[in-house]
Amino acid sequence: MFRTDEIIKAAKLPPEGVAMSRHIDYIYFIPILFVTIIGTFHMHTALLCGDWDFWLDWKDRQWWPIVTPITTITFCAALQYYNWVNYRQPFGATLTILALGTGKWIAVFTSWWWWSNYPPNFVMPATLIPSALVLDFTLLLTRNWTLTAVIGAWMYAILFYPSNWPIFAYSHTPLVVDGTLLSWADYMGFMYVRTGTPEYIRMIEVGSLRTFGGHSTMISAFFSAFASSLMYILWWQFGKFFCTSYFYFTDERKRTHKVYDIFAYATLAHADKAKLSGGKA
Amino acid sequence: MNVKDAFKLWIVGFCGVATMAFTPLFTVVPAFAHGERSQEPFLRMRTVNWYDTEWVGRSTAVNDIAYLKGKFHLSEDWPRAVVKPHRTFINVGSPSSVFVRLSSKVGGVPMFVSGPMEIGRDYEYEITLKARLPGHHHIHPMFSVKEAGPIAGPGGWMDITGRYADFKNPIKTLTGETFDSETEGSTTGIMWHVFWISVGLFWVGWFMVRPMYLIRARVLAAYGDELLLDPVDRKLAIGLLVFTVAVVTIGYLAAEAKHPITVPLQAGEAKVKPLPIKPNPLVVEVTHAEYDVPGRALRMTLHATNNGTEPISIGEFTTAGIRFTNAVGAKYMDPNYPVELVALNGLTMDKEEPIQPGQTVDIHLESKDVLWEVQRLVDILHDPDQRFAGLLMSWTESGERLINPIWAPVLPVFTRLGA
Repeated sequence: MFRTDEIIKAAKLPPEGVAMSRHIDYIYFIPILFVTIIGTFHMHTALLCGDWDFWLDWKDRQWWPIVTPITTITFCAALQYYNWVNYRQPFGATLTILALGTGKWIAVFTSWWWWSNYPPNFVMPATLIPSALVLDFTLLLTRNWTLTAVIGAWMYAILFYPSNWPIFAYSHTPLVVDGTLLSWADYMGFMYVRTGTPEYIRMIEVGSLRTFGGHSTMISAFFSAFASSLMYILWWQFGKFFCTSYFYFTDERKRTHKVYDIFAYATLAHADKAKLSGGKA
Repeated sequence: MNVKDAFKLWIVGFCGVATMAFTPLFTVVPAFAHGERSQEPFLRMRTVNWYDTEWVGRSTAVNDIAYLKGKFHLSEDWPRAVVKPHRTFINVGSPSSVFVRLSSKVGGVPMFVSGPMEIGRDYEYEITLKARLPGHHHIHPMFSVKEAGPIAGPGGWMDITGRYADFKNPIKTLTGETFDSETEGSTTGIMWHVFWISVGLFWVGWFMVRPMYLIRARVLAAYGDELLLDPVDRKLAIGLLVFTVAVVTIGYLAAEAKHPITVPLQAGEAKVKPLPIKPNPLVVEVTHAEYDVPGRALRMTLHATNNGTEPISIGEFTTAGIRFTNAVGAKYMDPNYPVELVALNGLTMDKEEPIQPGQTVDIHLESKDVLWEVQRLVDILHDPDQRFAGLLMSWTESGERLINPIWAPVLPVFTRLGA
């Protein structure tokens, strides 16, 4: 079904090299790459859109669909760059969001439930996997990061609210307490005491995005899509900046070249490496 | 490895060994309170003056109802360093959500959202709690001010017995359904997460079963990407794209059908009213105040006039939830108030006799107790604005309580007089 045999043949590695490369794949992919993304990306989202994602009573129709896609498409773009440009692997965004989800679910049951005693439904994270999948599909199908920024990033943001509505729709059910109309999410936020997070901390339902006939969510989603597109471009470039490997090579005529083909370094003879690194290879 | 590197390595190793060696020396005990004493004195003394605080239901079983109620005065001497209470919220200071808060009213008005309050006025609050997590918990009323932070009130111990597993909190919605706050939405949410995680894992796994990195990088560097872009991947991507969009659409429509009546999150402003201003025949002004550091006493000179028709006796000075009383105040003391916050006989005056109607008198009042140290209010001497504020309570002969907010700059006395 796959072109695996042709690819392995083209790699021109001996059988033991192929076997070793698979070991490296697994060692690198799961314990190193995946865990690193969990740590870094989880912290990134906790700092930039944490409250919207932690708390049920922050998931409003206005700021939640704006803030979450904009701040999460960042690592997706950078990891897409890394995986696509270096390996033509179209799963950077999905991998990133899976890692984020792993971190979040660990936090739900350790930080929030075991340590702080908040029920999981109160701290249920949003899902971004449908958005990330579409971002990856767009990159693979267009093979073009600019088109991915325009189409994929827009889809990433637009899909966020509808893909989470099945999880959180119930929390907008109305109820009346002490003669006051509340949504279930509001009352959950009220009931489960957060000593350091009084109600006024919530950044919800403020601003002028609601002015177009009350269609706050649509407007928020399109604004989020536009900003996500820009954010995608910025972070793709971050990915390029941080994930481009090169070395400097000084030839026999003392001319120095910046060489991007890192495999050229790998295949250099020992003596040539020694030349490059001042005799310390 | 040169000497510098070796030194760095040695330092890192030393820190690690030292950490491991000293850790067992420290006694690890659970924290029972929340560091309320670490709040600076000007925050605790000059913002919210709590009084009549009650913890109703000191010992409850899981699912029982308890109340936290009382009154507070927003000090006229509100510090310049603290943002004014334009947006405030009455909160509960507790170690996590050991109680769920069913209701909170200020002046009889529900306070689900924040609202403004007025400096110089008194407010009455009542918070209804439902016992959730068994344990011995330190519970405070808390006054949160936007851009200033939480200001803890006095803390009292409340015990919850029973098992958490028995906790139930069913609430009826406007649509006629009954939701339990502990579980509602969990199953649906987890199901959707598991579903999408499965799809995501399938997509990544589709590429994991084949060489992922090294081999592809070599081929890409040598021949470009034509060989790597397998047509079967594109077919799968198209299929999954349609599938994903379809599932999102169907899921959204199904959720709309299941929950046709929804409201946005409510983000209004509570319009709470202060207590009406009671006529007070006693007029009090602090003309001088000093804190005696070695004597652990706040001394003040009061210029008081009784404009009423009954003699008035001063009985209590309270600040930061700490109560200094004399015999008069002790008579009216709530026996359930936390003893660790009370200095019985901690209030003395040079003129103990009642102030007669029409009389103007200068009284030297001293509130003296080790509580100034224990509650870390002596740190007032480290404040950039060394002032105090509190409430002076006095009683008429007929038993009516009069409350006078007092405040003044504080001068420090670092040595015993005459020493």
